[in-house]
Amino acid sequence: MKQYRASYFLGQGIKGLWRNGVMSVASITVLMSCLVVMGSFALLILNIDVNLEKLGLMNEIVVFIDETKDDLAVEEIGAKIRALDNIESVEFISKEQALEEEQARFADYPDLYNLVEGDNPLRDSFVITYQDNSKASTLVYQLGQIDGIAKINHRQDLAASIERVKSGISLVLVWFMAILFVVSIFVIINTIKLAVHARRQEITVMRYVGATNWFVILPFIFEGIIIGVLASGLAYLIEWYMYRYVISMMTGSFSFVTILAFEEIALPLGLAFLGIGIVTGIIGSTISTNRYLKA
Amino acid sequence: MIEFRDVKKTYPNGTVALDGVNLKIADGEFVFIVGESGAGKTTLMKLLLREEKVTSGRLIVRVNRTGFPGGQVPSGNTAEIPRVGTKPGVTEYDLSKISNFKVPYYRRELGVVFQDFRLFPNKTVFENVAFAMQVIGESNRVIKRRVPAILNIVNLTEKFNCYPSQLSGGEQQRVALARALANNPQIIIADEPTGNIDPKMSLEIMNLLVKIHKRGKTVIVVTHEKDLVDYFRQRVIKISDGRVVSDGVGGMFG
Repeated sequence: MKQYRASYFLGQGIKGLWRNGVMSVASITVLMSCLVVMGSFALLILNIDVNLEKLGLMNEIVVFIDETKDDLAVEEIGAKIRALDNIESVEFISKEQALEEEQARFADYPDLYNLVEGDNPLRDSFVITYQDNSKASTLVYQLGQIDGIAKINHRQDLAASIERVKSGISLVLVWFMAILFVVSIFVIINTIKLAVHARRQEITVMRYVGATNWFVILPFIFEGIIIGVLASGLAYLIEWYMYRYVISMMTGSFSFVTILAFEEIALPLGLAFLGIGIVTGIIGSTISTNRYLKA
Repeated sequence: MIEFRDVKKTYPNGTVALDGVNLKIADGEFVFIVGESGAGKTTLMKLLLREEKVTSGRLIVRVNRTGFPGGQVPSGNTAEIPRVGTKPGVTEYDLSKISNFKVPYYRRELGVVFQDFRLFPNKTVFENVAFAMQVIGESNRVIKRRVPAILNIVNLTEKFNCYPSQLSGGEQQRVALARALANNPQIIIADEPTGNIDPKMSLEIMNLLVKIHKRGKTVIVVTHEKDLVDYFRQRVIKISDGRVVSDGVGGMFG
């Protein structure tokens, strides 16, 4: 019964990796770095997405009233706002309330607003919450049409600018990924080429005794896979440690930012690392053994 | 049976290595191929090993594993047919047309011995011989049974655990011969098998090849060694300038 055992190819792959010690370490390190950079960008984007979603869910618009309008006019404006579609609630905040809030916020600096007492620079405002996020831009337009509204602050503006930053980061990520991926493949190609070179005599004899192409190249493919698996494992550990460190740094200083727990992303991140690592290893070793795929 | 029909081989640089070679080697023959350096012997071997493709003409190898001339098994015959390595029966390979995919399977029909032995220094004698069987996916059970039997043929049973560096040149060539026999090929091709060993050992290797030939194998020996060729008095094919210039049974080197 003819049989080829995976353990044979795996064993040969490990031997090859061991024989090219330095190059193997280089391959693993480069691929690992590539995965860490890629993983970090991906985690950043995931977290931006979560925060964008949160911002979107706030469904809140703040409108500031022209300071020349008297109380009656302000009341009229409030009534006009309440009459609009898609309104959930409208809360009036007078400029005095706003000043008190500001003074409370900057309690450590009483002079800051005491100096302006009697000449309040703030404006009356309405905090509007709405029901349907998809109709928010219509609502913003309608508010703009109301006479006496000096300024509209919409969370979506903030969301849009964050979205733009995210697109920028994504673009950088794609380029980084492409470059690092190519570099990783090149380093793996060289490592496997060295392994092939070290075994060239063995390969010649294999050919003469009737080894098939697969028998000749499978040990090298396994070597590439092992490089991929080791690199992805190490990258995962580094990512895990780095992410925990960043969370501990951010929880104190940036409490308004939502950060995903590592557990929530652990599985997809691990699988993505493993998949990319293995695929890169296979591509690298296939390219370097390609010229041996002849009779 | 090996048949060269008007075989020509021209290399990409324009060198004509073989120019209309016609040859027939029957099952179970012992043949010396001789000639000066650059005469075309190496190209002939390369074509036979399908390392190179013929430029024109046909090269046919018919492998007969039945143990009967022409592969005709008499009806009612129950004699055991060799089963290790290859299937019983007759298979014809047209090397002028064979696809790359089939080449490894063709090569399993051949046993090849090189001048420089090409043993693995980090493998023992046993492992070197077993390697040829592992390559074609033979089971460990068969390997453990067959390798000692082959080492017995080449008188190396005692040295199964030695590394090539612990063996003499002649012994190393016997290991290479054992490896060539591992998959029970019907055709043995030896390229200058005595080129790297002393005359006494050379005679021993040639005697082993004759012993293998007597077991029904076709043996093709490419050599420069006039004394050995003259001593063994087998069929001698002389090649010069890419052509067969003499072909005689029991012929002399010159």
